[in-house]
Amino acid sequence: MFSGYDFDVIRRSLPYLFREGMTFTVTLTLMAMTGGIIFGTLLAMMRLSRFKVLGLVAGGYVNLMRSIPLVLVIFWFFFLVPYIGAWIIGADQPVAVGAFLSCVITFTMFEAAYYSEIMRAGIQSIPRGQVAAGQALGLNYWQSMGYIVLPQAFRNMLPVLLTQTIILFQDTSLVYVISVTDFLGAAAKIANRDYRLVEMYTFVAVVYFIICFSLSYLVKILQRRIAIVR
Amino acid sequence: MIEFKKVSKWYGSFQVLKDCSTYVDKGQVVVVCGPSGSGKSTLIKCVNGLEPFQEGDVIVNSESVGRAGANLNRLRAKIGMVFQHFELFPHMSVIQNLNLAQTKVLGRSREEATEKSTALLKRVGLQAHAQKFPGQLSGGQQQRVAIARGLAMDPIAMLFDEPTSALDPEMINEVLDVMVELAHEGMTMMVVSHEMGFARKVAHRVIFMDQGEIVEDASKDEFFGSPRSERAQVFLSKILHH
Amino acid sequence: MKYDWQWSVFLQMASDGSGTWLHYLFVGLLWTLATALAAWVIALTIGATVGTLRTTPIRWVVRLGNAYVEIFRNVPLLVQMFLWFFVMPELLPARLGDAIKQMPPPWGSYVPAVLCLGIYTSVRVAEQIRAGIQSLPRGQHMAGTALGLTLPQTYRYVLLPMAFRIILPPLTSEFLNVIKNSSVALTIGLLELTGRARAMQELTFKVFEAFAAATVLYLLTNLIIVLLMRVLERRLRVPGFIGSAPQGTAGH
Repeated sequence: MFSGYDFDVIRRSLPYLFREGMTFTVTLTLMAMTGGIIFGTLLAMMRLSRFKVLGLVAGGYVNLMRSIPLVLVIFWFFFLVPYIGAWIIGADQPVAVGAFLSCVITFTMFEAAYYSEIMRAGIQSIPRGQVAAGQALGLNYWQSMGYIVLPQAFRNMLPVLLTQTIILFQDTSLVYVISVTDFLGAAAKIANRDYRLVEMYTFVAVVYFIICFSLSYLVKILQRRIAIVR
Repeated sequence: MIEFKKVSKWYGSFQVLKDCSTYVDKGQVVVVCGPSGSGKSTLIKCVNGLEPFQEGDVIVNSESVGRAGANLNRLRAKIGMVFQHFELFPHMSVIQNLNLAQTKVLGRSREEATEKSTALLKRVGLQAHAQKFPGQLSGGQQQRVAIARGLAMDPIAMLFDEPTSALDPEMINEVLDVMVELAHEGMTMMVVSHEMGFARKVAHRVIFMDQGEIVEDASKDEFFGSPRSERAQVFLSKILHH
Repeated sequence: MKYDWQWSVFLQMASDGSGTWLHYLFVGLLWTLATALAAWVIALTIGATVGTLRTTPIRWVVRLGNAYVEIFRNVPLLVQMFLWFFVMPELLPARLGDAIKQMPPPWGSYVPAVLCLGIYTSVRVAEQIRAGIQSLPRGQHMAGTALGLTLPQTYRYVLLPMAFRIILPPLTSEFLNVIKNSSVALTIGLLELTGRARAMQELTFKVFEAFAAATVLYLLTNLIIVLLMRVLERRLRVPGFIGSAPQGTAGH
């Protein structure tokens, strides 16, 4: 069955696949995760704030992002970021923004919508008495949030946040649509150059599977441990 | 030191506090009792502005709580509060629970705060548990930590909102003992509680509430000797003889 | 910095000569829906089966179901799309593989896209169904058995009808996900809504008009489906039962 195949192409392209492709994928994932959780937490706080306008703005943003396909969002930002850049620095031509930066901005903005829903649930899961206790000690809003509510919300939601990050890791493969060389993009280049599509795409699938499966297994263990502590 | 002036509060159209006026003098211990839903927890939370009210005012140390723009955080830092469900911060160790507001609100150094906290933990008999997390302590121990947390702020008064009602019976006394000691030292205290033994021992005055109203506000001896209102008599007979 | 908006582009003739650009995008929306609906049928069928099997007391069946879920959950959708499009025809017997490869457009892209999306979504449906069944009180199962119902009968008449009602809201969002995910099929040449917005942008250089129109069409589609599902939920509501849906938390 495998007679016509050349699996050696995988061995030959390993350095390229991982040093170029996987490095891009992992860096993008980590940066978008950090940015996404920070921005997402802000969105969640806005949605839960006493000021209705903030809640409406954040809610509108989250629902918009969750209603359109990621591929479309990638296209949007790919073309929009140069214009925003020009607007910020006051140039009259769209500025050239590197593919990497564009991807980081896109995924941060997109995943923030999903992270914010998780953080919102996390914040709402903290009993109101905790906030009252913080207030009774004289802590102000930001102190109560920073020292009492968010640390607990973050801890309770850690497994879900990590699961979302695994999804983000998988999602980054979609940068293929703007021809960026992530792990899949690198494999696709080799696949098309050497006409080894079966070998390369199967290999990519196996690598993604091993990484994601192991990570979700770790999350499961973590979840069990958190459940015991509480 | 604490004065309620015709405080009224509504949840929507439901009135939970009706024209409540009373006071707690410096060094006094005032116990507030009454059936559940009578508004006593709401009343005590008006003192540090945890429950906003629509009419009347509460004056603490000659400062208005109800006035728009009142600096509630500064006020709260001066008044300790102990909750029914302890409300220790579960992600912080006992000592961190005590240090948090000392360092972040009062601006004490960590060493200063830790010194203060350690002394207070010793006082409530828990110095051995300083590094533990709240989840590892019994209910009685947690509530004693919560009292120490309030005391760490060097409060001018302490508020207790049903401090023993979430505890198993065998743990109630260890908490009450700490409170009695505090009362003997002259701490100004407002205590929502059904522990009539505690009231007999240390209270100066007892307030009885029902349906959002202060029905009876009398000295301890008057209250236990000859309660004037029928509602207070019924309430007393129910919780004293069962 | 100013962008020169030109909405009248939608009334101009599209490059493929079939009608205006507006019409061109609208046909894209129809392909999106056609892909999503066909995939949804597959997803519901397989998902309900696998999800149900995973709650049975039969150990090896549960393991098989778990393996299925893990495989399709841990590989990115785009990679799966490539597997169905590029790899699957090569692994099939030569004649069948060639027949698939020679399907005329758009079917050559449509069929693999539907299969891919259907199976990818079936895993998520299976998770919902399993959670729905497991959220039912254990007494329900025992009551069914106590009445003398067989295991399949207990599932058919007692557990599944309730489970489906409970998971209707998360199923709605899964259906919305299929619609969104179908845009990934543009990578294998299916000209659905996002693909057509992209093509329009390349041919007219009206970047933001094209993407704005696609965005609005997606939002409208979402809105209509959510409203329809609300009607369905109300119709199916069991009096006196407050459905608490198991919370699907992470996901798209």
